[in-house]
Amino acid sequence: MTDSARCERAQGDTGIIQGGPLPKDLREKRTDQKLTRRKAVLREKRRLRTFEVVGLWLTRSILWVVMLASLFPTAWVVTASFQKGDVFFSNTLIPRQFTVENYAKVIRETDFLRWVKNSLILCTGSALIQVFLTATAAYGFSRFRFRGRKYGLMTLLLLQMFPASMALVAIYTMLARLNLLDNLYAFMFVMAGGSAFNIWITKGYMDSLPRELDEAAMVDGATHWQVFRYVILPLARPMLIVIFLWSFMGTYSEFMLSSAVLKNPHNYTIALGLQRFILNQFAARWTLFSAASLMASLPVVVIWMFLQKYVVSGLTRGAVKG
Amino acid sequence: MKIYPFWKGRSKSDSRGSIEDSLRRERFFRRLRPYAYLAPALTSMAVLSFLPIAYTVYVAFTDMSLYRFDKYNFIGLGNLVELFAGPFSKVFLPVFTWTVVFAALTTILNYSLGLFLAILLNNPHLKESNVYRAVLIIPWALPGTIAILSWTGVLNVSFGPVNTFLKMMGLTPIPWLTNPLWAKISILLVNLWLGYPFMMSACLGGLQSISAELYEAADIDGASSWQKFRYVTFPLLMRFSVPLLISTFAYNFNNFGMVFLLTGGGPPRLDTSFAGTTDIMATFGYKLTLQFYRYGLAGMMSMVMFLIVGTLTLIQMKLTNAFAEVD
Repeated sequence: MTDSARCERAQGDTGIIQGGPLPKDLREKRTDQKLTRRKAVLREKRRLRTFEVVGLWLTRSILWVVMLASLFPTAWVVTASFQKGDVFFSNTLIPRQFTVENYAKVIRETDFLRWVKNSLILCTGSALIQVFLTATAAYGFSRFRFRGRKYGLMTLLLLQMFPASMALVAIYTMLARLNLLDNLYAFMFVMAGGSAFNIWITKGYMDSLPRELDEAAMVDGATHWQVFRYVILPLARPMLIVIFLWSFMGTYSEFMLSSAVLKNPHNYTIALGLQRFILNQFAARWTLFSAASLMASLPVVVIWMFLQKYVVSGLTRGAVKG
Repeated sequence: MKIYPFWKGRSKSDSRGSIEDSLRRERFFRRLRPYAYLAPALTSMAVLSFLPIAYTVYVAFTDMSLYRFDKYNFIGLGNLVELFAGPFSKVFLPVFTWTVVFAALTTILNYSLGLFLAILLNNPHLKESNVYRAVLIIPWALPGTIAILSWTGVLNVSFGPVNTFLKMMGLTPIPWLTNPLWAKISILLVNLWLGYPFMMSACLGGLQSISAELYEAADIDGASSWQKFRYVTFPLLMRFSVPLLISTFAYNFNNFGMVFLLTGGGPPRLDTSFAGTTDIMATFGYKLTLQFYRYGLAGMMSMVMFLIVGTLTLIQMKLTNAFAEVD
């Protein structure tokens, strides 16, 4: 049903309800009015249509241009990774000879697989610790009343605005004193340090879970720990998955601290390994680099695309309440 | 003796001893219980955030450096004076200005493009809007470090695809990362590429949360589409945009990776070897500590950064009423 038809039917309906039987002359007058109005509606509709169609195509063309510009660097990296030779010297964006040699070389000639392994250990470990710290603290802030609650979280949030680059020296000195430099597992704990922002946003999410559920469980004799473990944790799972992913991806991309702490190539993460790779072989092996960075990005992109809805909705739900 | 599991709370089997005893015990531990849940996070924060901060603040008031590592003196606010008025201000003030300019410009650019795209995508007649959104969001999904590293190749002066393209069009290639001005433009560009998807998603979420009734009401009053944007969309958009803008500014103020991985702070400045032309305070501080061992100065600079970013965050918290319901 078109808009005008729907509009007309609505008018007819109200006519029946309100008007009932009308005097004949009035009814004729009304039909006249209706006809002219319909003409006006149609005319306006046509004008709006052309205007809208032009606007729509303008919108489309702008979006296409932006998309092309946005995809351009990614497309270059993809083509470079399939290019023969070390440097990408072609004038075209489509390589003349396709080869997967670069991918094989990355795995054969560099420590790529070791970097992946290190990154996976580091990221998974620290993300799990992070989720644990966040969940317990958020539960504490959400469900208990205690001294220091009101300004505690605010103070924590503010203090964590301190630039991380400056905590670097102290953390470095600390690890050096404890003889834990270049230790992947010690570094895992450094990367897992509690984040006030995560706690705050998870607390917001937990606040939105009805308290009646806790009370019902308590009436049934559940302890606080059981409420946390069997009521709150399962319900907060979407938010905790988001925290896990944020933490995982944050560590995956972390560069500053790891470059200071992890010196032994044996312990390099992906970010570190790739950076050293182009730094050492300056500009010589871009095709290899492209292949390596694509392989390194792909899993993250896939996870991200898959869970993007979760992330966005989790973020807004936590933030709106927070 | 069995340790009372105070983090768990009262359980049915927990009725040993007299009732008074258990009540007293329960009352005492009830007060302790919340802290038990906070303890793991607080401990890790204390060790990894607060101790380092305290240490840095302490160092900021000394002249600690490589040569005065053990025999440092307390010089009060000497470092602050040195940064803004002493001989070192010649090195520091350009870095400070560029940090503010970079953070402000990048916030404005990212927000403008994000909002513009969100408005385009929000067009109800655009049926394939979701496809565009999925494509436009790709830079956000890529791991940032790897993306920035790839950009150094994309912007490479001699073989990078951007310059190849310019040459093909018969234009002169641009010295992207080697010329002081173009290096700054490159940083803004790459940061725009990385940052607009987030802004776009945030603005789109905001636009979609505006109730359609408001537009219907405006239609009835005969508002033009510009008037609808000016008097309905824009004011409502501002309400959630201001916190977004502030947090983006604060984030970019500390955006170490962007500058360090793309230009490394370079190209070098002629008047000093301490900082390059594109160094922001975060990368400058990193160099001051790890390359030049000027701990005192670096500490003081981080306090300046902290004051700026902290103030902004405080304003933002007030604006969003983030803690209104915490009572």
